[in-house]
Amino acid sequence: MLISVNISLPGPSTPSRRALPPQLVQFGTDELVLIELQGALEVEGNKDGQLVGKLRVDPATKKPTLLIGHHLLEGKLVNLSKPLAVMHRYDHTTSSDAHGAEDDAMNLDREGSQRPAENDARRWDIVAVVKRKMVFSRRPMPIVGRPSGSAGAPLSRIGSKP
Amino acid sequence: MSQAAEFDLRFSSASQAETGSFKLLELPPELCKLIEASVDGTNCPSFTIKGAPDEDAVLCTTDKTYTVRSVVLSNSVCVVTRDPADDVAEGDEEMKDVAIRDQLSEIIELIPSVPRLHKLSALLRGREYDEGHEDDEEMSEDENGVPIKRRRFTYEDARAMIQASDGELDRGLRDRRVLILKGELRPIAPSHLTAILELILTSLVSDSLSYSSAPVSTLLSALEGEHDIRRDVARQVMAWFGSISKQDGAEIWEMDADAVVREVGLGILRAHRDDPVIEKEFLAQWRKAVGDTFEERVSLTLLSGNYLTSSDTLSDPPIPLFTYFPSAALPVEPGARFAELFLTRPRWKADEIVPFLSDIAVDSKERDKLLLKHARAITDSEGIWYTARAKYNA
Repeated sequence: MLISVNISLPGPSTPSRRALPPQLVQFGTDELVLIELQGALEVEGNKDGQLVGKLRVDPATKKPTLLIGHHLLEGKLVNLSKPLAVMHRYDHTTSSDAHGAEDDAMNLDREGSQRPAENDARRWDIVAVVKRKMVFSRRPMPIVGRPSGSAGAPLSRIGSKP
Repeated sequence: MSQAAEFDLRFSSASQAETGSFKLLELPPELCKLIEASVDGTNCPSFTIKGAPDEDAVLCTTDKTYTVRSVVLSNSVCVVTRDPADDVAEGDEEMKDVAIRDQLSEIIELIPSVPRLHKLSALLRGREYDEGHEDDEEMSEDENGVPIKRRRFTYEDARAMIQASDGELDRGLRDRRVLILKGELRPIAPSHLTAILELILTSLVSDSLSYSSAPVSTLLSALEGEHDIRRDVARQVMAWFGSISKQDGAEIWEMDADAVVREVGLGILRAHRDDPVIEKEFLAQWRKAVGDTFEERVSLTLLSGNYLTSSDTLSDPPIPLFTYFPSAALPVEPGARFAELFLTRPRWKADEIVPFLSDIAVDSKERDKLLLKHARAITDSEGIWYTARAKYNA
């Protein structure tokens, strides 16, 4: 079995995809940031488009913080000892990633070019080479009595003791 | 804007569908350089992951092979980008949303590995190309005499099945003397190879061509016209034993004389696997086979690692004898190789055993380590002898 791995990094030859805000770019690349969490985010039901939390980058200290519900996580910038290539499965239904926008014209275009893409079903693209990551390794701090960005967020049990 | 560096971290709007569509690959420094060089350059490298379901996968560049290993992380890593579904062309930076595309809990490690070519010999068994096969019959007959088509094993098949990079596969095929005839892989019969090489040497002499710059087309025509050697066969043999380059529009072959002389010598030696040949007779036969021009290149060092010496003690003075003993046919695994070597001979002189270790140790340091581990050194008046460390079959 053969799986081909192509390199599709943004460069002079490839049009840039959607750039991240400059405050986040310093933690990764122009387009992609890796955020490492202790444990995992678990969601019940469909998570598509769901809000996870507020990600802040202090403009002075450059420290990132992540507020999830009533929990505040403090993060830091970690340089990777070995760079990581981020591979994305090439799939003709999501190939619009490369084009950025998604509209009807695009859909028509894709229908026409679907055939050759099927041959490439087993293909991965290296979309970024990352040398840094944002790590949230400390225990979350409960935040009490602070107006949360998202109204109606469930009250955390850890923070509920007076 | 710079004051409120605050973003809404969301799962991407296609998060459910995209789960599992990202992977992290740890890059060894040389691979990272290769990838980064491709960004501003024109040469875009492409990698291939190869492996049957029962094999460990490898990742191949054009000339290297890496073992692929998955390492589980205790933390999880979120891949965060802009949401690809958000339709904002201009003023991107004003957007407050960033999207988690996938959550990962493993990374893929790459470990440099030797090409896994050992499967080749099994796959190529029974496909040998010999003198008799020159019509290249693609049909053979089954037991009822009905012609059936022999299944071809092509270069493309080998590329898909052999866990090695293209460069390493090509080198492996060359080292194993495998012809590519109309895309099909056919290892050449050693005796036929020797015959072709001898014919090349004769043709060079009879047409008074220089072996360091022989016109390829003249040589191919001579071999085809006088000896019925197919052009594509002769051409590949010439490429193995020298280099073909273009000069003034014509192709010129520069022969690797030592390699040709060596192969011819091996061809003669091969007949003496079980019955030893007298050194003098062997050398005379070898010199005769390569002809006057190359006679002085005949040297036993060319064949090191392929023969054993012994002496016929019944005659007086003792006559040195040669036996064909190729190190390529010995086990690759060091322990097994030493066991085999000490079965063949209970004790070895250092300079005798060294040629049989050169293909399993990358340098002399590693070789000495192997000797230290698997053999016992004994010093007597004649020098250092190596004997088996453990008597496994005592």
